[in-house]
Amino acid sequence: MLVLLFILFGGLAVGCAVNMVAQRNPLYCAISLIGVFMSLACLYLMLAAPFIAAVQVIVYAGAIMVLVVFVIMLLNVEQEEKRRIRMGFLVPAAIALAAALIAEVTFILAFVDSEPLQVSDVGLTRSIGPALFTQYLLPFEITSILLLMAIVGAMTLARRTGELSARARVVPGDQMLALSEIDPTTSHEAPGTVEAHTTSEAARVLGITKRE
Amino acid sequence: MDQVLDIILRFVAITVVFVVVLLVVAYTVLAERRILGFIQGRLGPNRVGYGGTLQPFADLLKFILKEDIVPDKSTRFVYFLAPVIATMAALMTMIVYPFGPEVTLPVIGSIQLVVARFDVALLYVLGVTSLGVYGIALAGWSSNNKYSLMGGLRSSAQMISYELALGLSLIGPIMLAGSLDLGQIVEVQSRWHGTGWLILFAPLSFITYLIAAIAETNRVPFDLPEAETELVAGFHTEYSAMKFALFFLAEYINMFTVSMLATTLFLGGWNVPFADVVFGRGTFLFALVSVIGFLLKVIFFLFLYIWIRGTLPRFRFDQLMSFGWKFLLPLALLSIFVTATLVFLKVL
Repeated sequence: MLVLLFILFGGLAVGCAVNMVAQRNPLYCAISLIGVFMSLACLYLMLAAPFIAAVQVIVYAGAIMVLVVFVIMLLNVEQEEKRRIRMGFLVPAAIALAAALIAEVTFILAFVDSEPLQVSDVGLTRSIGPALFTQYLLPFEITSILLLMAIVGAMTLARRTGELSARARVVPGDQMLALSEIDPTTSHEAPGTVEAHTTSEAARVLGITKRE
Repeated sequence: MDQVLDIILRFVAITVVFVVVLLVVAYTVLAERRILGFIQGRLGPNRVGYGGTLQPFADLLKFILKEDIVPDKSTRFVYFLAPVIATMAALMTMIVYPFGPEVTLPVIGSIQLVVARFDVALLYVLGVTSLGVYGIALAGWSSNNKYSLMGGLRSSAQMISYELALGLSLIGPIMLAGSLDLGQIVEVQSRWHGTGWLILFAPLSFITYLIAAIAETNRVPFDLPEAETELVAGFHTEYSAMKFALFFLAEYINMFTVSMLATTLFLGGWNVPFADVVFGRGTFLFALVSVIGFLLKVIFFLFLYIWIRGTLPRFRFDQLMSFGWKFLLPLALLSIFVTATLVFLKVL
C-alpha cells in the first residue's frame, strides 16, 4: 500500500516537475509547480512528518505560489516564444549535473544500507516546537530579525516617493518631457529629457492645478 | 480482514459526512433567500414544496439542464480546472471536524464521531483552505474577461491579506489547548461540565477570527471579488450551468467550514453545558445531544452570516485593505499577546 502511494506521489512530483520545465505558458508552469509541492507534501506525510507536510502546503502552495500566480495574472505575461538558447554553456553544464545526480543515485542504491530508519518523531509538532525555542533559539531569532529587516526594507523601497503626497498617482505609460519643463532652473539650451512618473509632475508641466 | 472493515467504515463515514454537508449547504441557500426576503420585507422562494422546501432540488435540476457555455477565447483547460479546485479545496476540510464524542454502538462497537483524527488537523484545515484561492484566481484569469480578471485579482489580494489575521487568531485557542488536534481542543473545553469554552478566555481572538473568516469566504461586506454593481459577477461572470453551481457550492461549503471551525475552537465543539450531568458521559443519549448541540452552534454561525449579509453594505477596496492590515492584524497580535501573558501567568 505504502509503496503504491509512494510510486503515485513520486511519479506525480516528477511528472509535474518535467511539465513545469517543458511548458511555454508561465501560468501552466506555476500550476505544475503547485502540483510538485502538493506531491512533496504527500511524500512528507508518508514519512511520518505531518507538521512538515502541512507547512509545505501552507507556505509554498498556499502563500508563495499564490503570489507568483498573482504576479503572472497582474502582468499578463505572454506565452514565451520558442527561441534559440543563448547561453550555450548551459547544455554541457546540464549534462554534467545530470551525470553527477545519476552517479549519486547509483552510489546510494549500490552501497548505502537500505534498511529503513527507526520511526522518529522529528517531523511532529511536539518535537519541532521545543527544539525551535530551546536548542535552536539563536538561529530562529536571527532568521526572524532577517525577515523583519526584509519587511522594513520592502516598505522603505515601496514608499520612496520623495516629497510627493501619498495621493499622487503615477501616470500610466512613459511620458518623456524636456528637462527644462520639469526643472525651470536648468537652461533651455540643454536638450536632455526626463520621465514624468507622477501626476503632479505632469500636471505642473502642463499647467494644470491638481485636484486634491 | 480488519483493515478492509476499517476502510469500508471510513468510506461510509466520508459518504455520510459529504451527504450531510451537501444537504446543509442546499438548505443554507434556501434559508439565506428566505431570511434575506424577510429582512427586506418580501417573501422569497416559497412555491416549490411546502414553504419552498424543495426549492434547492429545483435549482439543482435547472443547473444541470442549462446549456454549458464556454467562452471562445478562454484558456480551456484552466477554465475547466478552476471550479474543480474550488469545490475540492472546500470539501476536503470536512473530514477533520469532530462532530460528537466517542459513542458505543451495539454492533460496530466504540467509534469516534470524526472521519479522520490526526496530529496537525488545524494546520491541514489552514493549508487546504488556502488552496481554495487558486480556484477563484484561475477562474478569473482563464475566462479572458476584464471583469473576471479584476475579480480574480481582488480575491487573491484579499485572501492573502486576511489569511494572516485568520491564522494569527487561531494561535490563542492553540495556546490554551496546547494542541493542534481538533479532538484535543474540544476535549479541553469539556471541563466544568462542558462550559469551559475557549471564547471565555480568548474573546479578542474570536472576534478577529469571525471577521477574517467572513473575508476569507468572500461574503458581504467583503464580497468585492464578485461585487455585482461594479464587476458584473466578478470571477464567475463567464461561468454557466453546473460549473457556476460548483463555485456557488464551494462558497457555501466554505461558509459551513468556517462555521464548524469557529464552533470547534471557540464555542466548545460538541460540548453541551451540563449534558454529562443529565445523561452521563459515554451514553448514546449524551452523544445524540452533543451532535445536535454541535449542529445548532454551526447553524447559529450560518444564520449570523446571512444576518450580516442582510444588514451591512460593501466595503470599498482601499477600506478593505487598510482594515485588514491596519486594524485586524494588530488586533490579532494583541490577542496573542494577551492570551500568551495569561497562559504564562497560569491564570487559566
